[in-house]
Amino acid sequence: METIRFDQLDETLYYEKLENGLDVYILPKKGFSKTFVTFTTKYGSVDRSFVPLGEQDAIRVPDGIAHFLEHKMFEKEDGDVFQKFSEYGASANAFTSFTRTAYLFSATNHLYESTETLLNFVQEPYFTEKTVNKEKGIIGQEITMYDDQADWRLYFGTIENMFKEHPVKIDIAGTVESIDKITADHLYTCYHTFYHPSNMLLFAIGALEPEKMMEVIRENQAKKEFAEPTPIKRIEVNEQLEVAIPERTLRMDVIKSKVSVGLKAKETNLSGRDMLKHELAISLTLDILFGRSSEFYTKVYEEGLIDESYSYDFSLEHGFGFAMIGSDTYQPEKLIQAIKEHLKKAEEKWPFGEEELERVKRRRIGFNLRALNSIEFIANQFTRYKFNDMNLFDSVSAIEELTVADVQEAFKSLQGESQQTVFKILPVDDGKTVYSPEGQEL
Amino acid sequence: MFKTIEVAKDVHIHTRVTDQFKTVNFSLKLRRPLKVEEAAERTVLSNVLQHSNAKFPSTASMRMYLDDLYGTVLYLDTSKKGNEHTVLLNVETVNDQYLQHGDVLEKVLELMHTVLFDPNFEKGIFKENIVAREKEMVKERIQSIFDDKSRYAQNRLTKILAPNHPASTSANGTIPAIEAITPQTLTDTYQRMLAEDAIDIYVVGDIDETKMIEELKKALPFGDRKSSFEKNALPKIQPTDSYVKETQEMKQGKLHIGFTTPVFFKDADFPKMQIFNGIFGGYPHSKLFMNVREKESMAYYCSSSYSAQYGLVYVMSGIDAENEKKALQLIDEQLIVMQKGEITDLEMTQTKAMLQNQLKEALDSARGQIEIYDQYKDLDEDFNVEAWQAKWQSVTKQDIVDMAKQLHKETVYFLSGMEDVK
Repeated sequence: METIRFDQLDETLYYEKLENGLDVYILPKKGFSKTFVTFTTKYGSVDRSFVPLGEQDAIRVPDGIAHFLEHKMFEKEDGDVFQKFSEYGASANAFTSFTRTAYLFSATNHLYESTETLLNFVQEPYFTEKTVNKEKGIIGQEITMYDDQADWRLYFGTIENMFKEHPVKIDIAGTVESIDKITADHLYTCYHTFYHPSNMLLFAIGALEPEKMMEVIRENQAKKEFAEPTPIKRIEVNEQLEVAIPERTLRMDVIKSKVSVGLKAKETNLSGRDMLKHELAISLTLDILFGRSSEFYTKVYEEGLIDESYSYDFSLEHGFGFAMIGSDTYQPEKLIQAIKEHLKKAEEKWPFGEEELERVKRRRIGFNLRALNSIEFIANQFTRYKFNDMNLFDSVSAIEELTVADVQEAFKSLQGESQQTVFKILPVDDGKTVYSPEGQEL
Repeated sequence: MFKTIEVAKDVHIHTRVTDQFKTVNFSLKLRRPLKVEEAAERTVLSNVLQHSNAKFPSTASMRMYLDDLYGTVLYLDTSKKGNEHTVLLNVETVNDQYLQHGDVLEKVLELMHTVLFDPNFEKGIFKENIVAREKEMVKERIQSIFDDKSRYAQNRLTKILAPNHPASTSANGTIPAIEAITPQTLTDTYQRMLAEDAIDIYVVGDIDETKMIEELKKALPFGDRKSSFEKNALPKIQPTDSYVKETQEMKQGKLHIGFTTPVFFKDADFPKMQIFNGIFGGYPHSKLFMNVREKESMAYYCSSSYSAQYGLVYVMSGIDAENEKKALQLIDEQLIVMQKGEITDLEMTQTKAMLQNQLKEALDSARGQIEIYDQYKDLDEDFNVEAWQAKWQSVTKQDIVDMAKQLHKETVYFLSGMEDVK
C-alpha cells in the first residue's frame, strides 16, 4: 500500500492497485463519524458503441442502457440489495453520468460489512427477462418525471443543440421507446465489457482504518475470479467543432421563460495536470466574466433580466466539453443579446488583468477548502478526477499557478460565434400550442 | 454539544469548539411569530440586506469583498418552524490557520455587523429602487413554484389540507403581501426585527471561545428584548376530507396525500412516529417503496414524510394518470397492513438503524450540528445521540400499530396532464 501526502491540506491518501487491476484509494478523515464508499466503473451513457468483451465486431446498444444496468444491479435472486444496506443502517445509492456509473453507500456503523456488500452486489450480476421488463415501468416513470422538469429540458436541449454526432446529446436515461428494446442479454454484454475490476475504482473516505479497509477489500477480491484484463475498444465519433443547431425553442407549461446559452468547447483532448489547469482556467474566466461580482451580473440583475435561478457552469470530459450560462427571465431576447454581446466584447479586447484574476483565484481557493470539509463532495469528485488522470487535491496548487496568459489561452476553446447555441423554454400560448413556430421544432 | 450563554434578554450565543472543519460557520436566527404580511416583509428585507449596505451599496461591490475574503459565503434567508418565522444569516469562512496571512475572521465579523446594522438608507429609509428590485425577486421566487410540478402539487395539497394555517403559510409570504411593501414599511420591519426578535447566534469551528464571544458581543450588539413573544399553540387543522383534481400541460401525474396525526415534535410519542414513517415510506426498505415501486413498478418514487411541527404525514408519488385509483388503493393498503400489525422484525431493525445513521451523519457537518441542536434545544432535556438511540430502541411493533391507527387521511390531491382527463 502506498501513501500519498498532501501537506498543504493536511491529508494522507492510501493507494493500492490490486492483482485483478482494481484501483483502491482510501482517505481517513479525523473527527467524522461517517464513512462514504464509492465503487465506480468508467462506463456511462456515452459508451453506446463498442466491441463486446471477447468479440471482434463493434455493436451499438439501445440508448439509456448504462443507467438501466445501474438500476438492475440492485435486484438479486434473493431480493433487493437496499434491504441489506438498511439492516446495517447504511444509505445506499447509485448514479449514472455521461462517463461513469457509481455505486455508493454512507454509514456510521458496520462499515466493513457494508463495503463487502457493495463489492459483492456490483460484482454479481443477476438479470432475467422478467426482472428487466419489470424495471421498464419504473424507469419509464423516471423518464416522464424528467420530461416535466423544465430545467432538465433546458439543460439537455442545450446539449442537443451543441452536438451533432456525439452520444453526449442522448439523455442519460434514454427514452421510453429505447429502453423498451433492452434485454437481459444486452445487460450481460455491457456488464462483462465494462465492469471488469481493471475498469473500476473504489474510493473510501471518512471514519475508517486504512489498513483494515484495504485488507477487507483485498481479501474480498482475492476470493473472486475475473477474466484477464483486456483493453476496452470504444468506437469514438468524429464530432464537428461548431454547434449542430444554433437556436431552438420549446413550449412548456411554465410562467416564466428559461434561457440557456451554450458554448461548445474545441479543446477536449487533454488529460492529467494539463486538463486540470485548463478546466480551472476556463472556470476562472467564467467567474470573471459572468460571476456575481462581474459588471455583467450587476447590469442584468439591475435591469431585471435575470433572477435567483441565474447560473453558469463548465463541464469537460474526454471527447466533449461545454459551458452554459442561463436564467429564468421575462425578457429572453434581451438576456440572450446581453450574454452574446458580453462574449463578443471579451473576444475583441481581453477584459481583465492580474488584479481580477487574483480575486477569483482567492474565491476558488476558498471554495476548495470549504468543499474539502464535505466527505460527499470528495467522494463524488475524486473518481471523476482520477478517471481523467487528475488529482482532486492538486486543485489548489494548480489554481495558484495560473497566469493571465494561461486563462486567456484556455478560453479560446469556447470562443467564436460558431461555438454558440441558444435554447429557450417559453410558456405555452393558450394551452394548445405545445411547440413553437420559431426556430427549429422539437 | 454547544456552550450557551445569554448575552441579553432572549439573545443567546451558542459556541462549539472543534477542529473537525477547515472553516468557521456562523448562523444567526432572528425569530418572531409567523404572519403572512410579516413573512413577506422579512423575506424582502433579507434580500435587501444581502445585496446592499452602506459600505457595499451594490451587489458587485459586496461580492468582490466576499471574494477577497477567500470566497466567504454570506447569505440571508427566511424559514418557518411551527408558528415561528425566522430570518437567518448564514456565514461560512475559511479558518485563518490554513492561510498564509490570516485576518479574515476579524473582517468577517465586521462585515456581519455592516450587513445587519449599517443599512443602505436614504433619508432614514431603504432606497426605493433597491426595495422595488428585491420585491420583484421575491415575487418571482414565489411564482417559480408553479414551474416545478412536484413542489406545486405539494403546495396545493397543504393549502387544501390546512388553509390559513401555519402549515400552509409560506415563509416567503404571498404575492399581494409583497406588493404592499413600501420602503417605509420595510424600514419599520427592519427596526422591529433588530429590537424585538428573539435571537440565537451559533458559531462552530476551531475558535478561541472566550475571544469569539467578546468579539460577537461587539460586532452584534443586540440589547435586551422587551418582551418575549407568546409561543401560542397551533390552531387545530379542521377536517376537510377532500379529493381535488387539477390539470396542467404535463406528462406525469403527481399524487399527493395528506394525513393528520395527533403526535407532534414535542410529544413523547415523537420517536415512535419517526419509526412509523420510516417503515411506511421513509426509506428504500419501506412498504411504499417496496410495493408501489418495486412490486407493481408503478412509480419511480413513492415516499412518505412526517412533518412533526404540524402533526402531518404526506405521501407523494409520480404515476401515470390512468393508475390513479390503483395507486391510491395500494397506498391505503400499506397503511392498513400496518394498522393490522403486519410489521416484521427486519423492518423494525432496519428503520432504527437508518434513523441512527441519519442522525450521526447529519452531525458530521457544522450546518447539521447547528440545525439539529437548534431544533432539539426546545425539548426539556439535553440533546445527545445516545439518548435518542435509546428512545428508538425501546419502540415496539405495538407502538407502531398504535401510531398507524391514529393516522387520518384528510386530503388527496392529484395533478395531471390535460389529455389524461376523461
